[in-house]
Amino acid sequence: MFGHKARPGGAAPSSEALRLEDVRKVYGAEDNRVVALDGVSLSLPAGSFTAVMGPSGSGKSTLLQCAAGLDKPTGGRVLVDGAELSGDGEAALTKFRRERIGFVFQQFNLLPTLTVLQNVTLPLKLAGRRVDKDRAREILGRVGLGDRLGHLPAELSGGQQQRVAIARALVTEPRILFGDEPTGALDSRSARDVLGLLQEAVRVYGRTMVMVTHDPVAAAHADAVLYLADGRIVGHQSAPTAEAVAERMTRLADEVERQRTSGRAQAGV
Amino acid sequence: MVALALRSLRKRAGAFTASFLSMFLGSAIIMAFASMYDTAEASGATGQTRSTLVTMAMVVGGWGLLLVVFAVTSTLTLSVRQRAAEMALLKSVGATPAQLTRMIVGEAAVLAVLAALLGAVPGALGGRGLLGLLHGTHQVPGDVPYAFGAFALGTGVGVTFASAAIAALITARRAARVRVTESLMAAAADPGRLGRRRAVFAGVFLFLAVDEAVVTMTMMRGKGTDAMAASGQADILAAIGLALLAPVIVRRATALLGGPVRAFGVAGDLAVTNLRRRTGAMASAVTPIILFTGIAVGTLFLQATENAATDRSGVAATADQKGVETLNLVVIGMVVLFAAIMLVNTLVAATAHRRREFGQARLAGATPAQVLGTVALESAVLTVVGAACGTVASVFTIIPFAVARKGSAVPDGSAWIYVGVVALAAVLTGATALGAARRAVRTPAVDAVTA
Repeated sequence: MFGHKARPGGAAPSSEALRLEDVRKVYGAEDNRVVALDGVSLSLPAGSFTAVMGPSGSGKSTLLQCAAGLDKPTGGRVLVDGAELSGDGEAALTKFRRERIGFVFQQFNLLPTLTVLQNVTLPLKLAGRRVDKDRAREILGRVGLGDRLGHLPAELSGGQQQRVAIARALVTEPRILFGDEPTGALDSRSARDVLGLLQEAVRVYGRTMVMVTHDPVAAAHADAVLYLADGRIVGHQSAPTAEAVAERMTRLADEVERQRTSGRAQAGV
Repeated sequence: MVALALRSLRKRAGAFTASFLSMFLGSAIIMAFASMYDTAEASGATGQTRSTLVTMAMVVGGWGLLLVVFAVTSTLTLSVRQRAAEMALLKSVGATPAQLTRMIVGEAAVLAVLAALLGAVPGALGGRGLLGLLHGTHQVPGDVPYAFGAFALGTGVGVTFASAAIAALITARRAARVRVTESLMAAAADPGRLGRRRAVFAGVFLFLAVDEAVVTMTMMRGKGTDAMAASGQADILAAIGLALLAPVIVRRATALLGGPVRAFGVAGDLAVTNLRRRTGAMASAVTPIILFTGIAVGTLFLQATENAATDRSGVAATADQKGVETLNLVVIGMVVLFAAIMLVNTLVAATAHRRREFGQARLAGATPAQVLGTVALESAVLTVVGAACGTVASVFTIIPFAVARKGSAVPDGSAWIYVGVVALAAVLTGATALGAARRAVRTPAVDAVTA
């Protein structure tokens, strides 16, 4: 559905979809620094589905934005599909993203003045690529919106809008898809549909998915979970279940809380 | 609530800049002209001199009043509309409509008093310059000294305060009536339908414009300079009428110009879609362009026709005729200034409002250049529509006056005047819209969509 099946005959694609090397991100000026990412290194194989979890303020969203070329890290390297994400200015970064990266956001971010079909073909038009409307229709049909092509986003439910966003992210056939709380604004039924579609994109069509979430049920749809606390990766869990993730998150939150209090006590605050 | 008003003024001075500027300039202009009355009183001038000075004070003062009320209302309305979310928030924590009204009127009142007091300085300087102009053209003897007194100050502060208060009341009533949920959703769809009341008003203004044109061509025929008074306002009435019809006109124009604009690729595509789906916002941006072009072109050609007719008659222009010319040029100056403030304010506000939309386009893969290209094409369409409507409005003044004054429908005046006015409108529109959009795309896209 989402394009060509994973390469035929097992001809190995570049096996690494995303690589971060010692990525740091520091916000603020000299006397008021906030370290959002404190030397994160990771490698995600192509065709994997990874959830990133952590307490609020752990740097999840910053990690996603740096990895996706939406924000510039203060230090370290980001490689998407083997190509280093380095460019001067927004235009260069935008062109880099168009080729390789798709996004799904919590707030959908569809253009309010464009119809469903226009929203899906927009990335192709912007990139100056041939607009294959039949393919866009086909993708929209597969996400269950074949009969909504002429509607405006405001005329759709949240779940429907997010499915349009997924279709839009996939139409350019990106190597890697990033989701920032893609189910955060949805009811549980719509959330399940959306997660099912994301899983299908990975399992059947070989896309790579990285999803930031705080919902253990959503995280359980991934192959693996990365835990983040205070800007560092503090844990990894394969084949997660919702219960295991929830338990680990509770422990993590307690730990962070304990560390912060003891840190404060030592500092004499 | 008054404390809240003061606080919001202090914390967000930027949002009130346009309102303040139009009040400040408005009060300065009113005071400059009103001081002609003070001058007449203080010098004890009599006869022709006195009548010239008093006419200056009253006629232009009346014009100024109209423009100040219009400009202040338009800037205040926008600054309140931009804060719709804040109003909704205040309502959700229990502010009553009356309290909101007090806050908005309080803000406007404080601004008006400050602006009018500060405006006294340029007002006095402008008045001195104006008297110098009258001295120079020998409309007023050189020994009449300048005076700036109670009448100028009182009129300036009073008019500015009253127009700000009225404008704030109108705005506040509208803002307070919107329900919480509505104001949060308002941005979603904006087809810019033409309300029945708006259509009726448009009809009335256009009818009055036609009426004035017909009166000028029939009853004023051969009456010379007097025809000016009758025909001079037809362009304003027609411009307001067309501005009220702007949503319909923008929709039709988009259908007409859509093809050529789409030829510019994806930026053209997006521009056409925005013009179609956001007709209401686009129509409000067209309004100042129509007023600007219509009144400027109308009055400049009116004066050119009059001057040519005087030259042909072989008699030197009388003091009265010179006075009228000065008045006309001053009116043009005021219109240009206020239309420019309105235009800049409307475009800046509308563009800042679209920060999120621009961010969404960028996340979908648009480069900043593509976003700016879309804005540039939209501005081009708006300029074409506004200038075309303004030209139509100006015809309501120009042709009837030419018929009345010299018996021919062809006005005098260089085509370059027209080119100059339209070019100024285009530069103002394009530069403002692009400047505001450039600022909007400077925010990182991810921040722009969450803000």
